[in-house]
Amino acid sequence: MQLAPAEIGFVFLLASLGLLAPLVIMARRTKTARAFAIALIVGSNVVGCLVAAVCFWRESHAVVDLSSFTPFPFALGIDRLSALFLLLICAVAVPVSIFAVSYFDKHHSEQRRSWMWAFYSLFLLSMIVVVTASTGFAFLIGWELMTLLSAGLILMEGDSAERRHNVFIYLLMMHVSAAAVAACFFLFLPYSHSLSFGAIRASGTGLPGGVRATICLSAFVGFGAKAGLIPLHLWLPRAHPIAPSPVSALMSGIMLKMAVYGFVRFMFDFLGGGPWWCGYVVLLAAAVTGLLGILYAIAENDLKRLLAYSSVENIGIIFLGLGTSLVFLAHGAPLGAALALVAALFHTFNHAFFKSLLFLGTGAISNSAHSVNLNELGGLQRRMPLTGAAVLIGCCSIAGLPLFNGFVSEWLTFRSLLAGSTLIDTKAQIILPLMVGTLALIGGLAAACFVKAFGTAFLGRPRSTGAEHAEEAPFGMCVGLVLLGAGCLATGIFPGFLLRPLVTLAQVLIPGAGVPEETLSIARILPWTAAILLGTGTLVALFKRRERVARTWACGLPGLSSRMQYTSTVFSKPIRFIFAQVYRPDRKVEELPADEPYFPVSISYRSVRTTSYERALYRPFVEVFVSLAYRLRRLQTGNIQVYLLYIFLALVSLLTFLRFQR
Amino acid sequence: MKITLDVIQVLILILGAPLVPAIIARLKALLQRRRGASLWRPYAELFKLLRKEELVPPTSSAVFRLAPVVMFGATLCVTAFVPVVHVSALFGSRGDFFLLVYLLALGRFFLSLGALDGGSAFGGMGASREALVSSLAEAPFLLGLVAIAILASHADLASMVAWTLQQDFFNISAVHILAFTSLAMVILAETGRMPVDNPTTHLELTMIHEGMALEYSGPSLALIEWASAIKLHAMLALLIALFFPWGIASASAQRGIFVAPLIYCGKIGVLMILLSMIESAVAKLRMYLVPDFLGVASALSALAVIFTMWVKR
Amino acid sequence: MGLVGLATEKILSSFSVFLFLTILLLAVARRISTSVLLFGLQSAIIAAEVLATAFQEKLPEVYVVGGLVFVIKVVMIPRAFFILAKRLKTVRDVKASTTPTQSVFIVAVIIYLSYTAVHSYGGAVHVPDDPLAAAVSLILTGAFLMVSRKKALVQMLGLLVLENGIFMAALITTFGMPLVIEIGIFFDILMGLLLMGIFTFRISDTFEHLDVSKLRRLRG
Repeated sequence: MQLAPAEIGFVFLLASLGLLAPLVIMARRTKTARAFAIALIVGSNVVGCLVAAVCFWRESHAVVDLSSFTPFPFALGIDRLSALFLLLICAVAVPVSIFAVSYFDKHHSEQRRSWMWAFYSLFLLSMIVVVTASTGFAFLIGWELMTLLSAGLILMEGDSAERRHNVFIYLLMMHVSAAAVAACFFLFLPYSHSLSFGAIRASGTGLPGGVRATICLSAFVGFGAKAGLIPLHLWLPRAHPIAPSPVSALMSGIMLKMAVYGFVRFMFDFLGGGPWWCGYVVLLAAAVTGLLGILYAIAENDLKRLLAYSSVENIGIIFLGLGTSLVFLAHGAPLGAALALVAALFHTFNHAFFKSLLFLGTGAISNSAHSVNLNELGGLQRRMPLTGAAVLIGCCSIAGLPLFNGFVSEWLTFRSLLAGSTLIDTKAQIILPLMVGTLALIGGLAAACFVKAFGTAFLGRPRSTGAEHAEEAPFGMCVGLVLLGAGCLATGIFPGFLLRPLVTLAQVLIPGAGVPEETLSIARILPWTAAILLGTGTLVALFKRRERVARTWACGLPGLSSRMQYTSTVFSKPIRFIFAQVYRPDRKVEELPADEPYFPVSISYRSVRTTSYERALYRPFVEVFVSLAYRLRRLQTGNIQVYLLYIFLALVSLLTFLRFQR
Repeated sequence: MKITLDVIQVLILILGAPLVPAIIARLKALLQRRRGASLWRPYAELFKLLRKEELVPPTSSAVFRLAPVVMFGATLCVTAFVPVVHVSALFGSRGDFFLLVYLLALGRFFLSLGALDGGSAFGGMGASREALVSSLAEAPFLLGLVAIAILASHADLASMVAWTLQQDFFNISAVHILAFTSLAMVILAETGRMPVDNPTTHLELTMIHEGMALEYSGPSLALIEWASAIKLHAMLALLIALFFPWGIASASAQRGIFVAPLIYCGKIGVLMILLSMIESAVAKLRMYLVPDFLGVASALSALAVIFTMWVKR
Repeated sequence: MGLVGLATEKILSSFSVFLFLTILLLAVARRISTSVLLFGLQSAIIAAEVLATAFQEKLPEVYVVGGLVFVIKVVMIPRAFFILAKRLKTVRDVKASTTPTQSVFIVAVIIYLSYTAVHSYGGAVHVPDDPLAAAVSLILTGAFLMVSRKKALVQMLGLLVLENGIFMAALITTFGMPLVIEIGIFFDILMGLLLMGIFTFRISDTFEHLDVSKLRRLRG
């Protein structure tokens, strides 16, 4: 068998992540062995980047068919779409792994560290399997392993009743998702007679309408739950914050994108667009997800939870693009569909970068200041300038500001929504342009949210002794952060080099699409804008200034203490006040002593954001399941003869079924 | 030829900017039967500030020094979008209004960060309020522009202006009236003018923009003040270009280029008179009424977008 | 045609846009005086519309109607309101049960719905779309104002806006009702206003406020 260079690289990637690195780590628990394994992980991911880049920029496929080694049809292959996501995984995994070296060293015992690295490596492998699978079987195996391994990584971080409960919810939701995804594949089976992607793709156009609609819905639920679309997002803000920071970065940055990959694979590659209503359903869910996600994020004071909710929001933006693309497809406008798809995929890529950057930044903060609560941070920019600079880039990107990568994809989404006005259909003509308003609101709130996050964590005075004595993150962490930050900035100023292959990818997925001119014009204007800003900067820098440190204005008081600063809670208060309907805070004011209302000794005030709507939404399901379980309990008697009776009855009923089927 | 015109436009917007708030202040003074300050005072002030030494709070970091620069640079970029005397602009046909709005957001983002870096309550207060106002203003701003863009079937400002030029002024469509109303409201909020923010206040508890600039001094303060003047000027010019472009020089009427500046001065003069009248007549809104103000603007702009459906046929 | 003709044409083609603006602003207005002024403005627009129709269709009696509209709705009723408000010494606020943002969104939806409703008739009625949609949305907005405002005074204003809508609809579809009926309607409005004025006066005399929501306590 002749292997192309790309295929050799791919096999190396799979083998080192799946076999070599874990084996080396687990076989010899020494420092050198682990260092070798880590080097292997980083190196193989660099190789993976190259392989993906080759496949992504040039039309070349890599196929690795393992069916002959396994009893199952287990084949992997890289086409353009897979290459994009493989690139995403490997490109993010390199800096995250470099960061993780110092992070795991600081936070985990020797014993635990080996396990962490082994799971980490396999977790990466499972995601690579998901995106490169070319049979449904391989896809489902990767999908399932991805969930289990990430749950394992969360549990390894620590153990408490709350953590177990959260992981339980995570696993529960993920299995609902996996069931829906499996259902998608099996719904194809009667028409494709095989689970290989080629056969599925071939059968995609000839499906009856009902089956097609069911697959669409099933894919939406399955991948939507994995991506964290509201109301299926329940697990996300529970699971992401409790993982170790590098793993949070992988989960938020990459694992959520696997759902986007699956959704694109099904809706665009296999089905070539859904029924007409499908795009609108996705749009609605995406708009709700984006808005609620960012509103919840802004109310959070825990940096990790804030980032988790902001992932929900960004998934909303990605699905906004996907929904728009589906609407365009349904109305037979391939050009607009391609534009929206490029926007969604580009945002997927960008989000992977800036979200993992921010999660790593949080890791660096918790490492230096021993807290991720915004109300205990502050003044870190002076103490950890490099981390601060990288996190600032991440914050600008996620807020969608020009010159940073988040802007480019949001801009493309805006333009595709605006292009909706050219459709013939009246619904689309109104709904798509109005979505501009929703996306603008999301963008504005995101900017507010990250002004708060960066401003209270890194600027001003430290609010705790931990923050006051913080020191710059260790070298390894800084390298990871700077790499990701540079990536954000580079794709933000010169998006053209990524946009061109993305357009080609969109043309592969959407036959008949031309090159949307928007993708060209944005790539042309941004470097100019950057040049003007840079020019202003140098001009001002050249303009020599005398500088003197003077006390901050304190209304004539002797000085300011850190308690006089705006806290994170106060910063978001106006927005929480305006959107009180969304948060439904549960306020409690207690005065002590209670019997003397006019002379209280102390007053305590507590305001908790309730999740009333979540409860209202999920309670019925939970109740039905619990009552069903209680009823089914009667079957379990513990008596061996009764179980034998069940087996017997099952056999008999099967036989009678066969008898009457004839 | 074209590039010279474009550069001249940018220069008009940048160098003429300090005059705009000065004239408004003067008009307000006249309305209130005061004499008012000299029109050239802002220039003198900028000159003075640029030469002064800069005071920096002890808690501040590089972000504090970076913020005014980014804000100024972003505002400079914005001026490259707006047609003033000629339908094209430096970035007129390449960049679109989404980029324009987000460039403004970039400046605001950094100024808010700079305010937080001072470590005082006032900076935080200003930044927090600015976050509220700007996050709610973005949607009506974009929707209002989207409505016009749909009618013009182009998203770049030069083509939008060129399209409006071809229309009959008296053929008012609902879209234009609604979009104009909402954009005017948004611009009042964006530039920190009266019902939303009081540009003349020095009472710490009521200020938004001034609160953010409180810790700045010297050249940094000059940059911030200048940038906000440019922003005001550019926004007014944007309103003029989108809704009352007649009189601007275009490819078909090249000779208009000599009259166009005069006409532009007249138009912006009318806007400034209106602005000063509003500012004299209206009281500042309570902080928690500002979202209602912007909510109304959002509804108007959403309605404008819906109306495009009926107007277009 | 001449200048008058041009003006007529422009009024007829674009006045409905301004009507939309007045009802949107009515939804936002927080002061009784502003609301009354807006109502006066709205009536003035309608009066202009009536006169323009009269000029275009050459219907002399419609001039009379236009004059009546102007005298009664632009001059008398707002004055009556101001006098009433002064005598009642009521506070300036309209006391809405919805926030301005909610109100304006509701009115926007009303406008959208009336447009779609008018559109779906299409050619069935041979009238221009915009004015008819404006008329329908005036009626609905009037009703909405009556529902959402707690002050009796503003509820009367809502009724008047509603009446404006009905008048507009009649004007557009049939170039107005016969003069006698029109005069009768105006008389009705005046009488109604008078009665309601007396009632509100009584209410405020007895209960010291005009908040209708508090009348619920009268329930046995």
